[in-house]
Amino acid sequence: MASTRISAQLPPDIDPTKAPIAFGRRALPKLNEEIQSPELLTQQRALMALCDLVHDPEKVYQAIQIGFMENLKNLLLHHDSTVRQKTTEIFCIMAMHNVGRQGLIQKGVIPALAELMDDPVDICRKNAHQVFEMMAKLHEGAADILHAGLIPLLMFKLKSELNEIQELILDTLSNCLRVEASEALSSGAITILKEKLTHSSVTIRSKAAQVLLEIGTHPEGKIVVGEVIPVLVSLLEDTDPEVQASATGALMFATIKPQGRFSALGAEAIPPLLKLVAGETSKARLSAIKTLTMLAELPEGRRKLLDHTDTFQQCLNDPCEAVRRAAEIAIRVIKWKP
Amino acid sequence: MLPAPRRGAAAPAAVPYCYCSPPRALPARTKYRPPPEAAPQEKEPVRYANLMYDPRVVRGNTYALQVIPACTHLDLFEIQRQREARRKALARKRAKEQLQLTPEPVEGREHVHVQTELYLEEISDRTIEVDTECQTDAFLDRPPTPFFIPAKTGRDVATQIEEGELFDFDIEVEPILEVLVGKTMEQALLEVMEEEELAQLWAHQRAYAELRNAELAEVQRLEEQDRRYREEKERRKLQHMQMLQKQKETTEKIAAWAFAKRYLTDLIPSVFSNLRESGFFYDPIERDIETEFLPWLMTEVEETLEKKVLGRMMLDSLIRTVVEKRLDAFSQEPQSGQTEAPAEEPGPIDAAPQEADEIEAADLPVTASEESNQPVAEEQLSRRISFQLEESDQAETEELETE
Repeated sequence: MASTRISAQLPPDIDPTKAPIAFGRRALPKLNEEIQSPELLTQQRALMALCDLVHDPEKVYQAIQIGFMENLKNLLLHHDSTVRQKTTEIFCIMAMHNVGRQGLIQKGVIPALAELMDDPVDICRKNAHQVFEMMAKLHEGAADILHAGLIPLLMFKLKSELNEIQELILDTLSNCLRVEASEALSSGAITILKEKLTHSSVTIRSKAAQVLLEIGTHPEGKIVVGEVIPVLVSLLEDTDPEVQASATGALMFATIKPQGRFSALGAEAIPPLLKLVAGETSKARLSAIKTLTMLAELPEGRRKLLDHTDTFQQCLNDPCEAVRRAAEIAIRVIKWKP
Repeated sequence: MLPAPRRGAAAPAAVPYCYCSPPRALPARTKYRPPPEAAPQEKEPVRYANLMYDPRVVRGNTYALQVIPACTHLDLFEIQRQREARRKALARKRAKEQLQLTPEPVEGREHVHVQTELYLEEISDRTIEVDTECQTDAFLDRPPTPFFIPAKTGRDVATQIEEGELFDFDIEVEPILEVLVGKTMEQALLEVMEEEELAQLWAHQRAYAELRNAELAEVQRLEEQDRRYREEKERRKLQHMQMLQKQKETTEKIAAWAFAKRYLTDLIPSVFSNLRESGFFYDPIERDIETEFLPWLMTEVEETLEKKVLGRMMLDSLIRTVVEKRLDAFSQEPQSGQTEAPAEEPGPIDAAPQEADEIEAADLPVTASEESNQPVAEEQLSRRISFQLEESDQAETEELETE
C-alpha cells in the first residue's frame, strides 16, 4: 500500500519517537485520532508530538476546542507508564497558560488527576502535583480543588512523599488554604506541619511556614497556629532568608490574637524580630515590622520596644512605600499612651 | 495417420503393425510458455484437450483443400510474390467488369478518365503498400535490448570552474549564517524569555502576596484592636453603671438612715413616757399596796358597809314594822291624813336607799323625828359617813382608775 514514506531510510535529523505532524490546522485533529488508536506505539508518538505543540497557546486553545481533554482524561488511566507520564506532562504545560487553566477547570480534569496520586511512577505523580500547584494559583482552581475534597488526601500524602513532591504539595496547600482552612484543620494539619517545620530541607521549611501563614489568616486558624509559635520563633534565627520571611509572616498572623501575643512574648520573639527589621535588604522586613506592631500593643512589649524606636526610624527611609507606612504605624503604636 | 489396426484382430502371430509415431491423444497445451528459469515441473495429471477445440485440427471440407506442395519451405519473398499475383488477377477481373459498363467513345474522341473532385488524386495501378511483419522466433526469447549509446554528435567542449570564480563562499554564506544563527538565537531567546517571564511573574506574585499579607495582617490587627477597645469600653461602661447604681443605693441608704435616726430619736422618750404613763414603771410597794392592800381594804369596807346596810335594813324593817303597827294602831283610830304620809314613807324607803338619801334624810326627820331621832340621827350620821365614805371610795376608785 502506498505510504507517505518514499524510502526505507528515514531522513536524517528527525526524531523517530514523534509522530509526524500534519500541516496547519490539521495537526491537532490528526493527533486526536492517533491518540485514540489501539496501538501503543502510535499513542506514544502522538503524545510526544503533542507535548511539543502544546507550548503554543493558540494550539492549547484549539486543542480544548476540539475536545482533547476527554481523550487525555481517559489516557490518564492507561496501563503504560510512558503514556501516563506524557499525558500528565501535557496537562502540566497546558496549565501554564491561562486558556489551558480555564479549560482544565471546565472539563473537570482535577478529580481525574486525583486518582493519579497513588501512581507507582514518580514522574507521573510529580507532574500531577505540578498541575495542582498551577491550578491552585487561580481562585477558581483553588475552589475546584477544595470542592474535589483533595485537601485531606494531600495532607496524607505530605507524610509519605518525596521531597520535591512535598514542596509542590505545600505550595498547593498554601494557595488553597488561603481560600478556606476548615478542611485542613479538621484533618490534623498542624501536627504534620509542625514536624515539617523542623525538616532538613530549606525549601520545605519555608513552604511549611508559608502554609501556616495562610492558615493563620482565618480566625479559627489563628488559635491553632498559636500552638506552633515557639517553633516559629526558633525558625526566626534560621540561616536561610526564605525561611525567616515565611516564619515572620506566620508569626505576624498568629500574634493578632491576644493569646498568640502572650505566647510570642513568652517565647522571646522580640530580639530576632528586631534583627530582621534592622537588616537592610531583608525580605522579612515588612512582616517583622508588622509583627512588632502587634506585640507593641501589649504593655510589656511596648516597654521593651520603647528602647528600640531608632530601628524603626531607620526604616522610614526605606525605598519601599509599604515598609515606610508600616514603620510609621509601628512608631505610633509604640508611643501610644492609654 | 494410417488407421489404427483393431486390436485383437488379424494375426496375432504376424508382425504387429507399428507406426512411425504411435497414436496418442494430445495433451492440452498451455497458452503461455513457462518462464525460462522455472524448474522442471513435477508430474501433473495429464490433461487431454478436447478435439473439437484443438486449433491443430483442420476445419472445413477437405475436397477443396489446398495441397501442400512438396517443398513446403518457401522463401518469404516468393510467398509475397505469389500473393501479389493473386491480388493482381483479382483486380484485373474487377477492372474489366467495370470498364464494360460505360458506352463506347464517339469517333475521334477518347474517353479519358478525369477526376472531377476538388482535389486530384494520383491513381496508380498499384497502390503503395508496405507490409511489415514481425514475429519472434518461436523458440527463442527476445534478447535484452542493448544499451542505447547514441551516436556521438557535436563537439566536445570542456569547462572548469576554479575556486573563487563563481562566488566567494565566505561572503555569500554570511546572510545564510545570519539567518540560521539568528533563528536559533531567537528560538533560544524565546525559550529563555518564557522562563524568565514565568520567574518574573512568580517574583511579582510573591511580592504582591507579601504586601497583601502585610495589609491583611494590619487589617486584622486593627480589627482586633477595635474589638478590644470596644470590649474595654463596654466593660468600663458596665463598671460605671454599677458604680452609679451603688452610689444611688448608698445615698438612699444614708438618707434612709438619717431619716430613721431622726424619726427614732423621739421614739425612746415617747416610748418611755408612754410606758410610764401606762404604768409599766411602777413602784413595787405602791403597786403592792394598790393591788393587795386596797382590795382588802375595799372588801373590809364593803363588809363594814354591808353591815351598816344590814343594820339599816334592819332598822328600816324595824321602822317599818313599827310604822305598820302604828299605822294599824292609828288606822283603828279615826283615819287622818297621816295615812298618806306613812303610805308615802314606805314608798321612798323601798326605793334605793342611796338615791332616796336626801328624801329620807328630809322625810325621816319630818316623819319620824319624834320616834327615832337618835336612830335617825344615827342614821343620818351613818348615812353621811357612808356618804362620805362612799365619796372617798369613789375618789379612790377614780384615783385607781386614773392611775
